[in-house]
Amino acid sequence: MTITILNGDNKNGSFSGKINSLTGELSEHHQVHLFNLSKMNLRYCTGCWSCWWKTPGECAIKDGADEIFRSVISSDFLIFASPLVAGFTSSALKKVQDRLIVLLHPYIQLINGESHHKKRDERYPEFGVIVEKEQDTDSEDLQIVKDIYDRLAINFHSKQRFIKFIDEVNVLDFELSNAVYQN
Amino acid sequence: MNLAIFNGSPRNKKSNSKILMEKFLEGFFKVSTAEVSTYFLANTKHLDEHVKAFKDAETVLIIFPLYTDCMPGIVKEFIEHISEQEAQSGKRVGFIVQSGFPEAIQSVSVERYLKKLAERQKWDYLGTVIKGGVEGIQIMPPMMTKKLFLNFTELGSHFAETGEFSQKIIDDLKKPYKLSAGRILFIKFGGLLGLTNFYWNSNLKKNNAFENRFAKPYA
Repeated sequence: MTITILNGDNKNGSFSGKINSLTGELSEHHQVHLFNLSKMNLRYCTGCWSCWWKTPGECAIKDGADEIFRSVISSDFLIFASPLVAGFTSSALKKVQDRLIVLLHPYIQLINGESHHKKRDERYPEFGVIVEKEQDTDSEDLQIVKDIYDRLAINFHSKQRFIKFIDEVNVLDFELSNAVYQN
Repeated sequence: MNLAIFNGSPRNKKSNSKILMEKFLEGFFKVSTAEVSTYFLANTKHLDEHVKAFKDAETVLIIFPLYTDCMPGIVKEFIEHISEQEAQSGKRVGFIVQSGFPEAIQSVSVERYLKKLAERQKWDYLGTVIKGGVEGIQIMPPMMTKKLFLNFTELGSHFAETGEFSQKIIDDLKKPYKLSAGRILFIKFGGLLGLTNFYWNSNLKKNNAFENRFAKPYA
């Protein structure tokens, strides 16, 4: 399968090293696109709505993020990877997450009796979340992060397959997700 | 009270968050002459100044729109920087989260995050006001925004008087928590009459982009 990894490590420390190793291992059997976000000099979403009502489906900010959008929408699986910073994934990752709204349609539809945005594309990658503990991370923190990504999954017509700490993640987690696609 | 308000909308001074903030302040200044400073986090070049203002304030309110089920990236960056500071025990911090989605349930996960953040930083947590259905208020006729604005004015007056959010107004603004049966019917059948997505369609048409609305340039 095709996998996109968005690495939001803004310290470029051991976390990025581990993501690089994981990327190497996964590349033996899958096509993997790794984006090291903090090296890309990306800008924040300005809420201009160009992507929804001026140039539908296209972001007005031309800073290379289109490569990410193309990769995400053509992938079977998407990884949000980041050390936890102040209890959540990093601003470098959140910046890109905000801009993924370009891949949705403004129209509202009902999902489980809630309003959500319609699909722009036929299919969206399912996703996994890989984080690194802070000194004071507890189970409540992890549950909050998981719940926020579960909600994101509803909005992105997707499913969160796993949330794991970087030291616990292995290629098997991806194989299980791959099995879902094979069926 | 020395109050600092941080507006976390990426739309900066054109934001719906700014309108709600102004209504809050209108009510606040009806009963108080306290010093209030406001900052726009979208001016990311002034991040150091914003962090210092946060540090110096006794009472802080942070208002932002829900972006992909959480705080916007600029707000996360701000939070990361204020969290690097030594924990300021007893600093009074409250939040206002507004969203385009009508129902409050969309914002309750980030509310849990904000409460935990306050705990971690040893702040005195003043609570989180959640308000859905805010996208489009700038073009709504006054009768549609009257109750919303009144609620925010009263929220501001109550805050100036007590230093806290009114629980009664928080509860009122949080409605609907989930969509009502009537609203669900409206979305299901309003689509046939072109009502559900009227706001988006009128803007698409205004920009001559309606025909192209299902474009997939990145596929």
